Amino acid sequence: MSECIVVTSGKGGVGKTTTSANLAVSLALAGNKVVVVDADIGLRNLDVILGLENRIVFDLVNVIEGECKLKVALIKDKRVPGLYLLPAAQTRDKNAVTPDDMRRLVADLKKEFDYVLIDCPAGIEQGFKNSIAGADRAIIVTTPEVSAIRDADRIVGLVEAHELPEPMLILNRYRPGMVSRGDMMSREDILEILAIDLLGVVPDSEEIITSSNRGQPIAFDDDSPIGAAYRRIAGRIQGEDIEIPDFTPKTGFWPTFKKWMGLSGQEAY
Amino acid sequence: MLDVIRKMFGQPSKGNGSSSDAKQRLKFLLVHDEVALTPAQLDMMKNEIMDVIKRYVEFDAEGVEFRLDKGDGHIALVSNVPVRRVNNTRD
Ligand SMILES: Nc1ncnc2c1ncn2[C@@H]1O[C@H](COP(=O)(O)OP(=O)(O)OP(=O)(O)O)[C@@H](O)[C@H]1O
Ligand SMILES: [Mg+2]
Repeated sequence: MSECIVVTSGKGGVGKTTTSANLAVSLALAGNKVVVVDADIGLRNLDVILGLENRIVFDLVNVIEGECKLKVALIKDKRVPGLYLLPAAQTRDKNAVTPDDMRRLVADLKKEFDYVLIDCPAGIEQGFKNSIAGADRAIIVTTPEVSAIRDADRIVGLVEAHELPEPMLILNRYRPGMVSRGDMMSREDILEILAIDLLGVVPDSEEIITSSNRGQPIAFDDDSPIGAAYRRIAGRIQGEDIEIPDFTPKTGFWPTFKKWMGLSGQEAY
Repeated sequence: MLDVIRKMFGQPSKGNGSSSDAKQRLKFLLVHDEVALTPAQLDMMKNEIMDVIKRYVEFDAEGVEFRLDKGDGHIALVSNVPVRRVNNTRD
């Protein structure tokens, strides 16, 4: 059975592209055949996060306009079997594609792949409508901030109106230390307000930045707790029952002492 | 110093509790978003309604409550207008 999942948020910059890349990697590592589609036409980013930017010849708009075969436009990742990227066009705008085009494209991709992930652009206009058109399920990414959650609430309503029932939430850039100090809404607070199922929590981490500097998604890193968080989310997407940990920072003498000595600049999980 | 020791042993230091502000503001915002009525518009409506009430009864303007409330599933416009007793004896 094949499934198309759109990763969306409403508000920009909350982590849709980072999430799409890492979930695509995690699902492929679990043995699935996965294609991740960059639907942010005009603002191509996913290729850079995945480290595949030097291999683009054709893009999504070329495929839709019939200038090349779908298979030719797909970029095969060499680090893990079964991972492919369909890049966005950089020099076109969102109106080059319609929801019907996307429905046809997704139907074609679903014949070949177990999972089709769509990295949705910010906003609720054309790019959003295109991105959700062919999807079976929606993942909504938010950060624990008032403005991002307000937009997520709006998106929940919009995806439900487009017959994508039961969207799931990924809470990104979570900072357990701030939560325990009472300076960040807890995941319980947020779930109470949004009334939507939690798919996973991803802590705020410098590792996300260093891994995107290198074009090597953190999900590839076996030793990283952030990579592990993405791999667990991928497990849940596949229907596994995996607990969502608290991400309570390790406290006590040694972690704190190390932090003081600058041995680890961040909260440890 | 105590604080330093507490930090060394990893007890969370106190923040300024801004998360409860965030939660309150967010709840308020989402209820207003849902009925597409801004807090300022609600205030205008309140003033118009109070002008009508004023024509019939005397009330304590300070004690007026007028807000949107989200119960289970539905949103209600909740108002409480404390009416002043009048002395009904005629001369
Ligand atoms: N968990 C995290 N910890 C730290 N930084 C993060 C995390 N998630 C995302 N970021 C950073 O936030 C920035 C925005 O992320 P990203 O590009 O994935 O967001 P987006 O929702 O796709 O943005 P846009 O709306 O522009 O498409 C990036 O610099 C990324 O490195
Ligand atoms: Mg993006």
